Amino acid sequence: MSDFLNGYSIQRWLESCPQGYLDGTEYGHEPGQKEPDTIVEQEFLRDRAIQTTVQLVAGERCALAASSGLIGCAPDDASKIFLATQTLDEARHVEIFTQRLIDLGVKKADLDSVVADLADPNLIKFAEALLEKVDKKDFVAGVVGQNLILEGMAFSVFEMLQAMNAKWNPKFARTLSGTIADERRHVGFGENRIGSLIRQYPEKKAEVERMQKEMSFHMLATFANQLRDPSASRELEWVSGNAPEPAADEEPATWQGAALGELKLDEIENLLSSTVLREFKTRLGRVGVDYQTPALP
Amino acid sequence: MTEDIHSLDEDEFFDEVYSFQHWFDSVEGYLHGTRNGRKSPAAEVPSEGRRQALITILCNYCVGETAALETSSGLVLIAPNRPLKVFLATQVVDEARHLEVFYRRLSELGVTDPEAEITKRASPSLLAFKRCLEEMVEARDWDAAIFAQNVVLESMEYTTFNRHMAGTDAATADMLSRILRDERRHLGFGETQIGQRLRHDPVLKARLSKVRAKLDPLVLSCFSEALEAMEIAPSERPELAKDYMQAMDRLGVK
Repeated sequence: MSDFLNGYSIQRWLESCPQGYLDGTEYGHEPGQKEPDTIVEQEFLRDRAIQTTVQLVAGERCALAASSGLIGCAPDDASKIFLATQTLDEARHVEIFTQRLIDLGVKKADLDSVVADLADPNLIKFAEALLEKVDKKDFVAGVVGQNLILEGMAFSVFEMLQAMNAKWNPKFARTLSGTIADERRHVGFGENRIGSLIRQYPEKKAEVERMQKEMSFHMLATFANQLRDPSASRELEWVSGNAPEPAADEEPATWQGAALGELKLDEIENLLSSTVLREFKTRLGRVGVDYQTPALP
Repeated sequence: MTEDIHSLDEDEFFDEVYSFQHWFDSVEGYLHGTRNGRKSPAAEVPSEGRRQALITILCNYCVGETAALETSSGLVLIAPNRPLKVFLATQVVDEARHLEVFYRRLSELGVTDPEAEITKRASPSLLAFKRCLEEMVEARDWDAAIFAQNVVLESMEYTTFNRHMAGTDAATADMLSRILRDERRHLGFGETQIGQRLRHDPVLKARLSKVRAKLDPLVLSCFSEALEAMEIAPSERPELAKDYMQAMDRLGVK
């Protein structure tokens, strides 16, 4: 196994993840942590939390299918071993976000239908574009789609949600912090592994770039759909009007240098979209793929 | 997390025992503090004859574990519900861990290019078995693939590792003892799944009997090759094959 892949061994994963930042957690958060009463009691806030969590479950289901599907077509055993750890990470994410749906009051028997009803159609198209490559056993496109595009998107979305929830919902913020650590590792593998494969198979580059453009469009359409929904502005209004006064020395919640509490929804959408696309451009550049600007939804 | 899982109804019980948390609580007991899959100190260097035999055995274990890794990851895609997908994802990481620790052991034995060595020493019967598994996953045949992997392959590995452990060096034995704990869990999952399916699908038994009839000659041939490499007396070999056959018979798949 090459040296860099030694950094992605099961031994390293066991020590840093389950025995490290997840040690002592329960469904990804500290034992005993609960959803805030306001979310559980206010129906529109609860519905909004369910709506957001369903998108996370749908994204993680796609990541689980993609990472497990890529093992069979990985060109070397070291990559198979890393993807095995990623498969279990993604399964854990499906489990913890599904558990959040249960904590928010969704009945176990209704889980699949709730996810099917509320999953954003653009996110489904995003997943289909990736899983088509996995079905075709296209390892190069699959790893770019999964580890750079999907994981890159998830990384930024989770970071923003975590910043928004750090004070408001410590349970959800803690759950997200473990997934962010996982996503960072997955993106790192993608960057490290794919560069040499793109050099080895330069004929793949154009196809990978087309896929990136398509997936990026579906991602932007998902952000637009979710953040332009009237329930999103109602939630933001309620949070703005009911947030406790911060202490004099308390720092406001910030992400990417912006004070999140001061942003309007269109500004949040812009910040999220521009951050993710900028990260795509940087990461794809590092592996030798030319970023393609997607159409705007 | 639930304190007493046996107080749960059936659905909740399986949600719990197939969860990431349950997996982690189980493996933590025997993997905590291990390095390269074992706790014992530096491995001894066997005589050249024994070293070569051990390399051949470990290379074939790698073939079996790669087959299990690829099959369990393929089964994640076709598993019918979330708890089964999560359990299979835990199995994916278990199989990858086995592959990794066998690689490490091969490296300690002086093998510098394990993938090339595996290609050179792989048993044709085991490779044929691996191809059968691939075909089942490709055909999205859940019942046949779970039976072939989690019952047949896991039983075969369980019997072989158990016997190997008794007559090998301390480092290899320690590593195998921890792998066996995983295999027992995978086998239990397979027997439960197939047992439940057999209760509800009377036609399935005949279908799995056909699968078994196809796989048995390959399994027995793999046994024969592995036991010869372990220098186990021919008189003892039928006993080990009997252990495997009994595991199959427990499910009533003749």
